[in-house]
Amino acid sequence: MIYSEIGYYSLVIGLTISLPIFFFSIKNFRDNKILDYKIINFSFIQLLLVLTSFLGLVLSFIYSDFSNETVFNNSHTTKPLFYKISGTWGNHEGSLLLWLLVLNLFIFFFLITSKNLWKNYRILTVLFHQLIIIGFFIFLLDSSNPFNYIFPVPKEGLGLNPILQDPALAIHPPVLYLGYVGSSIIFSSVLAATSLNYVSKIWALHIKKWVLISWVFLTLGILLGSIWAYYELGWGGFWFWDPVENISLMPWLALTTLFHCILVLEKRSTLTSWVIILSITTFTLSMCGTFLVRSGILNSVHTFANDPERGLFILTFLFILIFISLFVFFVFHKTDKKSLISFSLVSKETSILINNWFMMYFLSVVLIGTIYPIFLDVISSEKISVGPPFYHKLMIPFLVPFLIFMAIGPQLRWIKSRLRGKIYLITLFIISISASFFVVKNLSYNFLINTVLIGSALYLFFVTIRDFFSKEFKNISQNLSHFGFSLLILSILFNNLFSNEIITNLKVGERFNNEKFQIVFKNLEKSEEKNYVTFKGYFTILESGKEDNLVPELRVYNQPNIVTSEADIKTSLLNDKFITMNTVQNEEYFNIRYQVKPLMIWIWISVLLISFGGILSLFNRNRV
Amino acid sequence: MRIFRFLFVLFLMCNSNFAIADDNKMQNKIAKNLRCLICQGQSVYDSDSEFAISVKLVIQNKLSEGLTEEQIYELLIKKYGDWISYNPKFRGNTYFLWLLPLLIFLFGGAIIFRKVIRIEK
Repeated sequence: MIYSEIGYYSLVIGLTISLPIFFFSIKNFRDNKILDYKIINFSFIQLLLVLTSFLGLVLSFIYSDFSNETVFNNSHTTKPLFYKISGTWGNHEGSLLLWLLVLNLFIFFFLITSKNLWKNYRILTVLFHQLIIIGFFIFLLDSSNPFNYIFPVPKEGLGLNPILQDPALAIHPPVLYLGYVGSSIIFSSVLAATSLNYVSKIWALHIKKWVLISWVFLTLGILLGSIWAYYELGWGGFWFWDPVENISLMPWLALTTLFHCILVLEKRSTLTSWVIILSITTFTLSMCGTFLVRSGILNSVHTFANDPERGLFILTFLFILIFISLFVFFVFHKTDKKSLISFSLVSKETSILINNWFMMYFLSVVLIGTIYPIFLDVISSEKISVGPPFYHKLMIPFLVPFLIFMAIGPQLRWIKSRLRGKIYLITLFIISISASFFVVKNLSYNFLINTVLIGSALYLFFVTIRDFFSKEFKNISQNLSHFGFSLLILSILFNNLFSNEIITNLKVGERFNNEKFQIVFKNLEKSEEKNYVTFKGYFTILESGKEDNLVPELRVYNQPNIVTSEADIKTSLLNDKFITMNTVQNEEYFNIRYQVKPLMIWIWISVLLISFGGILSLFNRNRV
Repeated sequence: MRIFRFLFVLFLMCNSNFAIADDNKMQNKIAKNLRCLICQGQSVYDSDSEFAISVKLVIQNKLSEGLTEEQIYELLIKKYGDWISYNPKFRGNTYFLWLLPLLIFLFGGAIIFRKVIRIEK
């Protein structure tokens, strides 16, 4: 009770703190040379108040205070403590409060880490950022208050959706939000810099850190979500081109493009307009994501909580922000005609432009594929589905040149470069294609496209490995990320081509045989856990003389009453053995799905390598 | 280079292990491209709902009757509408869906080409 009270009032007071921030900012903007310390102090107070409010909600969850509507809707006394806490952001209201907390946290960090920069730029960034913060405050207090009362106080809560009760998913939203919200700093900063005509080398160097931070978090957030989908949703897939997945991918694509583009701005002071547009796009995509997820427009596995009214608020808010940014861009942005930029056709600049070109194309495929069905439904009420075949058809052919350019690009210098003396590029290409031909030759279908695809991915793989040694780790962060990407594509391709699976119905004691596997359903055990009853199936898999024991589970949760299927996965460096069981109408039998998925763990490892490249780059001051 | 050789052996091992074509593969492929109409964003392949199970049976039967992949899609779309297929057809209402990204690609390419050419001069 008391915690909700504290939470609510600190939120209200937090909103009023925006007033002095505005007041001192505007005052400071005109007179002084140095930044008024009061702005930082008030930002800190606002941060503390939002933090208090957030902790108030966390404590309400920990103590299962069911007089709080959010707690009542999403928690239960029998839930383990860890999931009580993670339940705080496993719902709409709590996740928005977390979003607000991160917004405040980031602007505070921005203020204390930008001391060397121009005062007016810092103040204006704070002001633009305050607009976003105020928007979220009002949204929270008005239509998504996490501290609503229920009277009479219920004895028991409704519980958290069991598929969300999972360690990876408990930390997935905060990590993803750090990525999303990081783009808000980029947004306010780019608006401030544009208004003051401050988009320059110094600015690029400074904002690059924020781009990297949000990029790393977004990458890791997507990875966590993907891993969760892999073992929890029980179909052994890790990416389904589901609208909500696409929505997290779009800001990622935009951020990746922005990062490459900022490198050009930093080294060569060109492409300013493009950097501004990309920064605005990234944030808009993050906000659109929130809108689409929260409004319930999307038909997706992820629609846990949604409400059209809230969607309308976010949409209006989004339009205001887009309007402001377009206004700033068209009124204040002056294209720099003085500085004569010149670079040759064969140069790093051109290759980064090519990167931008392909990335924007991939982004447009995802964007159009995600929203086109919604528009079509609204306009003509025809329902179509856009799924994996669409994305694969439009993206895979373009992936081949993309991978090749990705290998060649980093070999080039700024301004002008020569391909002479780079015979190794051609040698490695021939090696890759022949190697790929060798691997694919036994496949009966899609022979050509697979050879070319694996060939180009191998090409990037070999070229980046060569770079590790030949460049003596000078460019280690870029090298690592590009290498990680080649590994990712290779693992996905091999995983796709050489996966094997068996779907069958078995009852206890029965066995399944084919020429390669033998699956024995040995035993079924029932046991009771804190908030669910579990049925464990004991299976033995015999494959070419090797024996594996796997134990998939069926869980019947008490609150809410939902049956989930927990996969059992045996991971090795070479492949994953993945088994799930499900109930069938005929009660004695269970539907068993057994899959062997090669190189699965390398998909996760490669994404970690990609983000690790980003982290290295953060700590690397001089080089990129 | 030893690492490469090791990786190659590894790849070849995967290859020989999994090269045996599975009869079920086509059935799974078709099921992956169909939406489970009563689920929240799951394909027929991923779902264990009654609907998904019955569609899987239909696919199995039709395949054994000798229908091709395309014919099975046609059949199911005729019965349940476009909503069931994850692979939108190229016609009337989806021209834009398929062509817009490609147009954007061409457009972007033209801009970059112009810029680079202008700078070259």
